[in-house]
Amino acid sequence: MDRNDLMEKAQQMVDQVDDMPTIPAVATQVLHLLDQPDTEIEEVANLMLSDPVMTARILKLINSPVFRPEREITSLKMALVYLGMRHIREVALTTSLISAFGEDTGALKLDSFWEHSFGVGMASKIIAKKVGYKDLEKAYIAGIIHDLGEVFLSTYMREEFNKLLVSIRNQPAMLVDAEIQQLGTSHCEIGLCMAQKWNFPEAYCEVIAHHHAPAGALTEPVLCAIVNLADLFCCVRGLDYAGQEWVCFNLEEEEGWQILKNLSPHLAEMDVERFCYELDDALIDIRALVDSIFGVKRPSEA
Amino acid sequence: MAISDKDFETIRDYIYTICGIHFHASKKYFLESRLTKRMDATGLKSCNEYYQLLKSMRGSEELKFLMDEITTNETYFFRNVPQLNALETKLLPEIVEIKNKMGFRKLRIWSAASSSGEEAYTMAMILMEKRSTLLKDWIIEIVGTDINETVIAQAKEGIYNAYSVRNIPEMYRRKYIREEKGSFILSPDVKKFVTFNKLNLYDDNKMIFMKTFDVIFCANVLIYFDVAAKTKVVQHFYNNLQPYGYFFVGQSESLHGVNDKFKTVHFPGGFTYKK
Repeated sequence: MDRNDLMEKAQQMVDQVDDMPTIPAVATQVLHLLDQPDTEIEEVANLMLSDPVMTARILKLINSPVFRPEREITSLKMALVYLGMRHIREVALTTSLISAFGEDTGALKLDSFWEHSFGVGMASKIIAKKVGYKDLEKAYIAGIIHDLGEVFLSTYMREEFNKLLVSIRNQPAMLVDAEIQQLGTSHCEIGLCMAQKWNFPEAYCEVIAHHHAPAGALTEPVLCAIVNLADLFCCVRGLDYAGQEWVCFNLEEEEGWQILKNLSPHLAEMDVERFCYELDDALIDIRALVDSIFGVKRPSEA
Repeated sequence: MAISDKDFETIRDYIYTICGIHFHASKKYFLESRLTKRMDATGLKSCNEYYQLLKSMRGSEELKFLMDEITTNETYFFRNVPQLNALETKLLPEIVEIKNKMGFRKLRIWSAASSSGEEAYTMAMILMEKRSTLLKDWIIEIVGTDINETVIAQAKEGIYNAYSVRNIPEMYRRKYIREEKGSFILSPDVKKFVTFNKLNLYDDNKMIFMKTFDVIFCANVLIYFDVAAKTKVVQHFYNNLQPYGYFFVGQSESLHGVNDKFKTVHFPGGFTYKK
């Protein structure tokens, strides 16, 4: 199917939804501000204080077990200093996304969605470091938001999406292919429409649109390739939407891998096996992170 | 004795580098108790002293004792479920399609460290289920090899205990396993698909005759070999595998640094190697 057709269909779907949550304007402004060099923490704090809901959420998150400060942090400025410039983006964006998509009403379990998202964020950061990509936090954020389109499908196309999930159960099928085949568009195009509506910075829009086909990216093919691989690896190491998607790939044949190897040839020596096993170990931390954000209590796991 | 996270990582990294097996963080307590045992046996007081011993001239000998403590030689049916799922869902249908096109309807599987036969027989059961569908009119050949004649005799006999059969899905168990006085007897229908032979993986003269396999399993054996031996044995597996075939090692094992020609193919819960 032609890419324009996919985009057109995605735009129709997104336009049809009247009650789509909005990302606070402040969050996207923070992202833009942090993309500028020489931004001062004061500026960011002043901007964020204009949104009391976000301020409250950040204070709640910073005092949660994820960050475990020694003493309770009570002011936004203190919180931002504690986080450091690099982590502000992450917190501003994730707190807004969580408030936008915190209700567990869709076809995908929300905690499995966030586990996948944070897992891909973390894996993106590790891969970014290995290939010498300059902005590790950007890679992290890009990983967290890459599948926003899936939340849309899961929430607003619940019935069709459920049918699709059933049709690929235990099949060697990628969600993106099944979506194009059955819905006429995919989470990549839908996510892009959402990101544009929310005025996300260009790099993130590109990752959302091209994380399954990084070679097609015009400005950030490397970032797209990083997220592409992080996504593939997470899907085979237990961060796979609770087994809804059955992914199988030959690393050597992945275009993301080729892009990154061209950029940094030493990647050919990477201990891929160990990377997989380390992702398994990280699963425990990722689940703890998601649990503490959403306050999920699980029965104790082995 | 509790060991610190840092000591755990040091020893874990060392075992990974030398043996090619990864200990998951969740297994820290297990490694801790086994390390304590070896430290008592060697009279060493701290983890660091023990680590120094592993790295010393006498280290390879001590490493053997440690590996005996931390690996279990017990095997059982349907042990590596992610591998079996990947074979059934994607890899076998792919091999069958390629061979169908060539008009060569024969599937060859090798369980290269077959022990008492559970892995080879597991494959036999799975493949037998497909004889009316995917593998209609196909010849199935499964070969099990091991260096130890006692376990080969056990494999040929096909009688198992409750531990061995506990993971067999009900559907297979009903068809192929008969219980008699606490023993579990494998059906002759399954046994006839598998042959067992004695083989030393290190024996070049014999290894070159193990040709044209579509799938090779070699789980939990290479971890006992040094890098030179591993490299040699894995090269044989490489040569003996069809261009479209797959080579599987055990859960948590790694061939990184052993053979740079194999490519990794990943699936949910594991990976395999391909030419």
